[in-house]
Amino acid sequence: MSGAHAWGRPVPPKRVDLAVRLGALELRNPVLTASGTFGYGDEYAHVVDLRRLGGVVTKTVTVRPRAGNTPVRIAETASGMLNSIGLENVGLHRFRTEKLPRLRELKATVIASVGGETEDELAELLESLGGEDGVGAFEINFSCPNVAAGGARYWASPSRLEATMRRLRSLTDKPLVAKLSPDVTDIRETARACEAGGADALTAVNTFVGMAIDLERMRSRLGRATGGLSGPAIKPLALARCHETAHAVAIPVIGSGGMSTGRDALEFIAAGASAVQIGTATFVEPGAAVRVVDEVRDWLAAHGIARVADLRGTFDAPAAQAGAPEGAGEPS
Amino acid sequence: MSPAAARTWRQSPARVRIQRDYGAGFRWLELDLPADFEAPVAGQFVQLLLPPPSPVLLPRPMSVAGAVRRGRALTLGFLYAPVGTGTRALTALEPGAGVSVTGPLGHGYPLERPGTPVLVAGGRGVAPLLMAADALAKRRRAVEFVFGARTKSLLAGLADARERVTRRGGRLHVATDDGSRGFHGNVVELLEKLAPKLPPPVVVHACGPHPMLSAVARWATARGAEAWLAMESVMACGTGVCRGCPLPRSGEARDRVLAEGAASGAAALKGNPDWAMCCTDGPVFEARDLDWERVE
Repeated sequence: MSGAHAWGRPVPPKRVDLAVRLGALELRNPVLTASGTFGYGDEYAHVVDLRRLGGVVTKTVTVRPRAGNTPVRIAETASGMLNSIGLENVGLHRFRTEKLPRLRELKATVIASVGGETEDELAELLESLGGEDGVGAFEINFSCPNVAAGGARYWASPSRLEATMRRLRSLTDKPLVAKLSPDVTDIRETARACEAGGADALTAVNTFVGMAIDLERMRSRLGRATGGLSGPAIKPLALARCHETAHAVAIPVIGSGGMSTGRDALEFIAAGASAVQIGTATFVEPGAAVRVVDEVRDWLAAHGIARVADLRGTFDAPAAQAGAPEGAGEPS
Repeated sequence: MSPAAARTWRQSPARVRIQRDYGAGFRWLELDLPADFEAPVAGQFVQLLLPPPSPVLLPRPMSVAGAVRRGRALTLGFLYAPVGTGTRALTALEPGAGVSVTGPLGHGYPLERPGTPVLVAGGRGVAPLLMAADALAKRRRAVEFVFGARTKSLLAGLADARERVTRRGGRLHVATDDGSRGFHGNVVELLEKLAPKLPPPVVVHACGPHPMLSAVARWATARGAEAWLAMESVMACGTGVCRGCPLPRSGEARDRVLAEGAASGAAALKGNPDWAMCCTDGPVFEARDLDWERVE
């Protein structure tokens, strides 16, 4: 193990530059809300100043409204929670006519999450929303674990991802972010496929497929057998996937998974993330994302780092594991 | 009113003021909150978050049993059963301990509805109805309070209910499944006997286990009475964003949601026609709003 890291002299927090770029989109800071945990923004606007966030990633919208899955939809597990929401959302029309105008009013930087069971559905969403004022970028949800069709497994095919990204790329000038599932053999393959298809950035990662059984009733604690696991339980898992993804592609990566503090966020940034998403922590503390912004700024100031972008990827991986995790498990 | 203006909940630090046994395995908890915390109405709930290190991640939805202003500060009372990891940990908090409270959340009972208010409590479902009895007493309205349990030892809060109800000339009616106290039978059987003697219309406000609420809802629908039922669900956020606490809408409610969508001039729907969210559409629902066949 090497000695202590050499940090610079503290700088005033106000002097810390938190701005980051995701392709053509500049964010005032690297902290975003994760899709599905912040509604359409306005639900929290009376307690969170949305202008203090790097951006709001809205609830995944699909072409038609979706009613969502049969309950039970939530089950708490050790340091985490399983969800089986099933992409309940208001649908494209209401998103465009009601939710977007409200978000414009709130002056939030909006990353609109879109989801589809097919390439055609995603294309329809981008054709409709691609020119809308007030949408800074799109996040393509290729990784919902809770739908029967068009979920994480359907989109786990690198060739399908690349072809779909290529088509979507031609439909809008706005940055496209592909949100990846962690439940693949090698996340570098899906990451590179999205990059090759023209993605401007990647989000790593969505929830992990998980289960919980009520033994007495011998049935799932959810309405379906499985759900998506989120919360502090997945942070180390998500951090490893994010690190691997960031080393596999040249485009920016947005870390996501189990973060609830500024230090959590800084770990992802040090591991290579350009920005981060706060999700389940918002259910515990509605103002969590804004607190994370403050904690990131204060930590950077105390450690003499004047620009958050300077911390990105500075994590000093042990040589044997850097960017080549499969090597770590091989007999030496 | 804009959607944002309608939302008044906030997250605030709170302190344990009183924590004690309430009988029948239940606990009584009082929390002191800052002056700017809006007082909940009966039927509303708050999300209670334990201080770190907590054995659970998510806050717990807690029905409010009392709200009193002391000077400018607000004291909230809760009646709870330590049945899970979170509520068991809650019992360990001594007076002075810090917690976090988000609220008030959801819609409470519409106590202003004209008619004879009949409060129907099953077991620890008595919590929001104690508060409803207080609110009706303040409005000088006499109430009929029906309190049922399996057996008399589970009638925790009976003395509190009696004190609140009789103060304004209301009446307390007790039912036990085993006949160990009061009427021998369940609350619906007692309701059936009582209702014809009351000045119409009868407006029921109920809280208790879902099978009991389902029976009350069916009774009210069959008798043409109004019934407002406080429902429970597992929740994550409690604020409407996670969509984690669905309850099945009735066919009538579904048609209403679809009609509202059509009336708005939009092809899209104004809400989810299949599922109501317990947290923001409820937790208090009118009997005709839910499909009781599918309520678990």
